Parts: sequence; C-alpha cells; structure tokens
Amino acid sequence: MNEQRQITVTQAAAVTISTIVGVSVLALPLAAVKAADAGAPLVTFLGMLLAFVGLFFMTRLGMRFPNDSYIEYSEIIIGKWLGRIGGLLSIAFFAVLSSLVAREFGEVVVTAVLKNTPLEVTVLVMLLLAAFSSRRNIMTFAYIHLFYSPFILIPALLIVALSLKNAEIVNVLPVMGNEIRGIPAGIITLSTMFQGYFIMMMVIPAMCKPERAMRSSIWAMLITGVLYILIVSATVSVFGAEETKKLLWPTLELAKATSLPANVLERLDAVFLAVWVTAVFTSLFSCYYFTIYSISKLFRLADHGMLSFFILPFLFVLAMLPQSLIHLNEVNSVISKFGLLITIVYPGVLLIIAKLRKKRGKSK
Amino acid sequence: MSFSTWAGSNQPNDSDNLSANPNGKNSEDMDISVNLEETISEIKQVLGDSDDFIVFGFHVFGQHPAVLLYFSDMTDHAVINNTILKPLKYGPRHIDVNNLPHDALMQTIMKDTLYHSEGYSERKISVLTDNLLRGQSVVAIEGLDEAIIIDTRQITQRAIEQPATEQVIRGAREGFIESLGTNISLLRYRLQTPDFRVKSMEIGTKTKSKVAMCYMDGITNPGIIKEVQKRLDAIEIDAVLDSGYLEQFIEDNHWSPFPQIQYTERPDKVVANLLEGRVAILVDGSPLALIAPTVFSQFYQTVEDYTERFVLMSAIRLSRLVALVFSLVFPSLYVAIISFNPELIPTEFAVAVAGGRAGVPFPAMIEVLVIEISMEVLREATIRLPQQVGGALSIVGVLVIGQAAVAAGFASPITVVIIALTTIGSFATPAYNAALALRLLRFPLIILAGIFGLYGVMVGIILITNHLLSLKSFGVPYISPFVPGNFQGMRDLLTRGPLWKMKNRPSFLHPISKTRMGDHMKEQVDHSSSHIMDPVHPNDEKGR
Repeated sequence: MNEQRQITVTQAAAVTISTIVGVSVLALPLAAVKAADAGAPLVTFLGMLLAFVGLFFMTRLGMRFPNDSYIEYSEIIIGKWLGRIGGLLSIAFFAVLSSLVAREFGEVVVTAVLKNTPLEVTVLVMLLLAAFSSRRNIMTFAYIHLFYSPFILIPALLIVALSLKNAEIVNVLPVMGNEIRGIPAGIITLSTMFQGYFIMMMVIPAMCKPERAMRSSIWAMLITGVLYILIVSATVSVFGAEETKKLLWPTLELAKATSLPANVLERLDAVFLAVWVTAVFTSLFSCYYFTIYSISKLFRLADHGMLSFFILPFLFVLAMLPQSLIHLNEVNSVISKFGLLITIVYPGVLLIIAKLRKKRGKSK
Repeated sequence: MSFSTWAGSNQPNDSDNLSANPNGKNSEDMDISVNLEETISEIKQVLGDSDDFIVFGFHVFGQHPAVLLYFSDMTDHAVINNTILKPLKYGPRHIDVNNLPHDALMQTIMKDTLYHSEGYSERKISVLTDNLLRGQSVVAIEGLDEAIIIDTRQITQRAIEQPATEQVIRGAREGFIESLGTNISLLRYRLQTPDFRVKSMEIGTKTKSKVAMCYMDGITNPGIIKEVQKRLDAIEIDAVLDSGYLEQFIEDNHWSPFPQIQYTERPDKVVANLLEGRVAILVDGSPLALIAPTVFSQFYQTVEDYTERFVLMSAIRLSRLVALVFSLVFPSLYVAIISFNPELIPTEFAVAVAGGRAGVPFPAMIEVLVIEISMEVLREATIRLPQQVGGALSIVGVLVIGQAAVAAGFASPITVVIIALTTIGSFATPAYNAALALRLLRFPLIILAGIFGLYGVMVGIILITNHLLSLKSFGVPYISPFVPGNFQGMRDLLTRGPLWKMKNRPSFLHPISKTRMGDHMKEQVDHSSSHIMDPVHPNDEKGR
C-alpha cells in the first residue's frame, strides 16, 4: 500500500471545509455588513463565487499535475527560479496567515473568556498545538480534518438554528443592500474569508484519485458557502445591519444572544468558543502544515517533521508583532488582499501558462 | 491434549544447554547410546538432579533391561501403569517374545505391544529431554539406539468457568482457561470449518511457551497474518508468562496510553473477531486471548450487543459511549466551569454550587484533584484486598470518607457527586485497559482546566484526539471506520445496526471475503408480509 496516496474525495472535501472555516467566521458578518449593509448575504455569496474561481484554477492545475507537489509543478511551468519565488511567496503568506490566525484567536480568547491570561500564553498554546500535530504524515493530517469537520459544522448550524427565534426577516431586506457601490470591493473582502481552500494544492498530490479532485472542491465550496451565508443571514437578521457594524465579533455575539431550549445552559458564548477551538485549530493546523510541508518540498527535504518546532519561534514573533487588535485587523486585511494574488491570480496565471506551453504532469 | 508433534519440539536447544555441559560434549546433536547406563547418565546430565525426575528400571517382556523416565508431577500415572508398563512387561500374547530377534524388538514394541496412539521413537538426546520436560515419558531399552517417547502429559487445570471480567446476561458462559489446548478446542468447537487455521510457535527461551496464532483462511487479509507472524517471530525474551507480555512486543505505539490490541477471555468474542477478519493470539498459560488489529470502537462494544434486539442495544451502546466520554471530561468540565465560566450554568444551580463550596478552602482544581486521587487509591485498594474485606472497605471508604470529607469542608457535595459519576462512568466501559487510559488521562485534563478553563479542556481534548487519530494498529487507523470515512461501517459504530443489514465484514480490515451473508437477507427476514395464520378465505389457499 502506498502510504502517501490514500486521501479520498470525502477526506479532501473535509480538509478544505475545516481549513476554510476558522477564526474568520467570528468577524465574517462584520465584513459583509460593512460592504453591503442588508445585502450581506448576497455579498457573501458573490465572494464565494470569486473564491471558487481561484479554487477552480487550483484544482485544474492539481489535476494536470497529479503527481507533483505545488512547488514542483510551478517550477516546471514557469521555470526554476520564478517557480521558487512563487513558492517562497506562498510559504511566506501561509506562515503569516497561521501566525495571524493564532493571534486573532488569542485575542478572542483573552477578550471573551480568559480575561486575566496573557495574550502570549494563549497564542503560544495554539501554535504549540499545531506544531505538535503537524509532525505526522499527510494521512494523519487528512484524518484529523475529517474527524473534526462535523464538530465544526454542527455547532455553527446549531447556533444559526437556535438564533432564528430572534430573527427579523426585515433586517435582511432589500437583498441587494442599500449601497450597491460597495459590493465589488465587498466581494473581494469576502472572498479572502475563503482563502483556506489553498490547502487543496497540497491535498491533490496525495489523493488516491486525483481526477476526482474537482468533485471535492465543489462540495467543499458549496458546504462552506452555504454555512457562511447562513451565519451572515442569521447575524444580520437578528441584530440588523447597523448594529452588526458596531460588534467586534458578531458571530460570537450571536452565540451569546441565543440560548438552549429548557435552559440547560444559561449562555452559549463560552461553550461556542470552546467548541470553536477545534475550528481554529484545524485552520491553523492547515496553514502550519502547509508552511512546513512546502518548505520541505522547496528544499527537497525528505521529511517535514523536524521543521515543525523550528518555525514555531518565528511564527510566534510574527503573531506578536501587531500592536493592538485594531492594528491586527488592518494588517489582516492588507495581508489577505495580498493573499488574493497568491490564491487566485497566481494559480490562474500558472494554469494559463501551463496550457499555452502544453506542460502536463505524468498521469499516475 | 498432546503437543508431542507440535512445532518447536525439534528445535535445537540454545546455548544454555551448552553451558550445562562442562566436559564440552555437545548434547544438541548427540544420539543416545546403545548402552542403557550411558543413555541414562547423558539424560541426567542435561536435566540435572531433580527429585521429581523418576528413573524406573524394569524388564521388557521379562528379559530386556529397560528404563522408564518421566517427571512424576506432570504425568498421568494411570496411563504409565496401564498402557506402558503393563503391556511392556507382559508382551503381546500372539507373538512369541522369547524367541524374538533383536532387530525386530522395536517394531514389535511399537506396533504390537503399546496400548497408546501417541508414541514414536527418537534418537536425539535433546528431543528426548525436551519431551520429558513437557511431561512425556521416555522408554529406553538396552541394546536399542532409539528411545520411545509416549504422551503421558497431564497437567491439572481448572474447569471452564464463566468469564470473570466479561460477563453477559445473554450469551455463552464459557471462558478461556490457562491451557492452550483446551482454549483451541473451545474455538474449534465454535468454528467447525477447515478454514479455521492455527499456526503455532514457541516463544521464550526459558519457558518455551506455546503461542498459537489463529485466523480464518479466506477471510483474514494475508498482509495482517504476515505482519503478526513477523512481529511474533522477532520476539526474543526468556519468559512469556501471559499474553500481556506479547502485547507489549507486537503493538504499534509503545508510548501511547491507549491499548492497540484487544484482549478477551471469551471464546465467542474471539470467534466473532476471527470471522470479521482479525487474528487471535493465544498463549499457553494465559486465559486471555489477544485480538489484532484493534480499533477504538471495540472497547465499548460487547458480545451482548449482538444477541439482544438491535434498537435497545444501540441505546445501551450509546450510553456506554457517554459513560466513556464522561469518565474522561466530566471533572475537567466541572473545574473549568466553576473556576472560569460560572455564568454558563443556570442561576439556581450556580447558587447551589456556590453554597456547597462556601466552606471549601481550596480552588476547585485542587479540590477535584484531591478527591480524584483518593478515589483512585480506594479503587486500587479494593482490587488488591481479599474479597472478604474488599466489600467492607469500599463502603467505608467511599461512603464514610466521602461524607466526612464534605462535613469537614474538604470538598463540596457537588464535587463528590461529580467524581462519583465519573468513577461509575469509567466502570461502564467493558474494556478495562481502555477505561484505564481514559481514567488516567483525565488528570492532565483537570490540570489544564484549572489553568485555562474551557479553552484548556478543548486543547487537551484536541491533543488526545489527534493522538488517537495518528494511532494505528497493524496498519488499521485506530478510529476506523469513522475516520477513513467508511459510511457502511458506521452502522456498527455508535449504534448497532440490525444483523441482517450488516452484510459486509469491516472493510478497514480488508478481508478477502467481503460479505458474510446471502444477498437478499433483508427480504428474507421480512416475515410479516406472509399472513400464514390469517382466517381462511373461501377463495384463498392461505391460512390452512
């Protein structure tokens, strides 16, 4: 049995879903509302479509080169040095992304639950968790994502379902929103929320049937898209667009506003946050894994395991660089817009060049 | 049960025997001598001077000097007297033994004289001594260069009883005993098919324990059989006293707290697992069979699940799973909520908790840890104590100390309730080793909960889960069938599917034969459609 080629379509979809759904969900409705007021669900949908374009490029690329890692085939397509620069940029992007994920979640935890704990500790705990787990091989990576994906989807859906009793349909009307002009910029912002789909690049070479990768991409995008639209609609319909703008993490507020039937638990926010640790962990884990896996591919290392603790201090320092939460959000939006170049434009360019130069990987 | 022809009896003795021969004679390849005295002294030299070693001299057919050698406490004296000594002394009536030519003596003894089916002649000293040690008797005769080995082994063994650790309400009452032969016969009794295979080997340079690997030919994946065989063959140890010894040598991850090989003392459980495509390992002297590969879900399943109605047993299985999860996270959740997020629980309950904790001087983490540790001590003490005192101690320990601890302000009543629930939860898990793992893992979780609250509990659970997800047992992912994503197999994961629907063997074991029942079982069991006892209709033949 080939240890490295066993990921199934379901597993690939689960990896993508649990990577995409992460800490960004907490602030997702805020971004959507800022862009398009009551048109937030629509903007989310359009953002998903844009993200799917990127995922589509990426999956086609992966299916074209089913045996090579992303670093390897970008070297084949655009030449050794350009490819390496592209690879290095994406590694850097994902390293920064993982530190930002850890930092943002650390902020959430410190603000909402552990008010007396230093930020450094919560960030470090998250990074350590990812570092510990990312020493394993890619099959375990897929197993971990598959296992957690229901624990990510179910609580989110539960919150949405329970909040519906406070919902006002008037709050999400008109569907187009009041400010049509904000929508194009909003689409771009929203599509950055889906950036985790980049992990498909790493997964496809390990799939047992790479030719079916498109199926898992479509499923993954569909499920996360529906989930995001539901969360945005629920938040906006409960709080209304104007109020949502004032909330730092609207999804967390949504959890706070809902209660379980029969009054088993007084509040849900801490529980939601606790369960949400898994979602954040899987996203962080993916970014972390992608970073060290790609570094090992770039330098042609046999094993990525030894890198996992090596990059930990760098990521920790990166995570602590933003001065405050506001600064963090600014950095975050700049970085993720830059990320669009890497996650949509770069694969698109690669795909076009590969088609023009008629480069194609050996089929397995 | 005879083991005279089992593998291993012809294996050369190892270097220990060489050192037992100070005069440099290599007993390994030595044949016995024609001279009886010399043969006896050679055997005695190997076996040393033990008082239970009997050398009984007599005359075969009243004329040829001979000796009977055996260890007195391992042999059946009735067999020795009636089927060996008696015929050998008198000789067969239909043959004139007085004029027997010397070269026909052996043939006559083997073919016409002895009343025993399991006897053969042998020259090698090492084989003779090995068999003597196993409880067989040896007859050596003056002038013959071969000795006769006869099966006379008799080891006292206990009766087959109800399994002590795995009791069921509905199901077989048989449990394994220590003797390997009896255990294999218990398996064969349930699997009367030529597909049931037993491969045996000897492990342990001193104990020479017989180890039997059982599997179903045509079901079990040959890769698994080969891997088990390979791992067993690689073991070099002086003694194998229990199957637990082997477990530690052949498991995949030695540092994991979770058991990767299941053990059982129920033959029916072993048979069920063999039929699913697993391999069972039995050791002579151990009433516990090992089953590999093992997945986590096996630890909360019992035989009984499959003998009772499926809807009800599904519910019971779910409750067992809840108990398992409880025993892991309950105390840490309590600590986390009490010390960090009391706003989560309903106000009335929060008031009650606060009232109960009013006199307790410690933080919740210390309080829970103290009570938990004393609970572990009590439990260990109850197991080790003789049964006559054990019951008394558990009542005194748990009730009196628990009550007194609350009265003294050591612990709040709710803490005691939580710990009691946790402890009971850990007892509800059928597999002791899995329960033990979760039981001890809750201590780090409590500490994490005391430091980081719910966030810490989640971090701990994620660490444990990631560890479980990376574990494998003989190449099978530990959380199968949930995690490689086999939806067919999930019917038997949290709940139990109806037997007629579980058509396939677990696919994560990659069995050769995939299905275990006919194709149309679902329609076949749909009996309600035929109304055989309906009242007679004039134009209908139904309902005689």
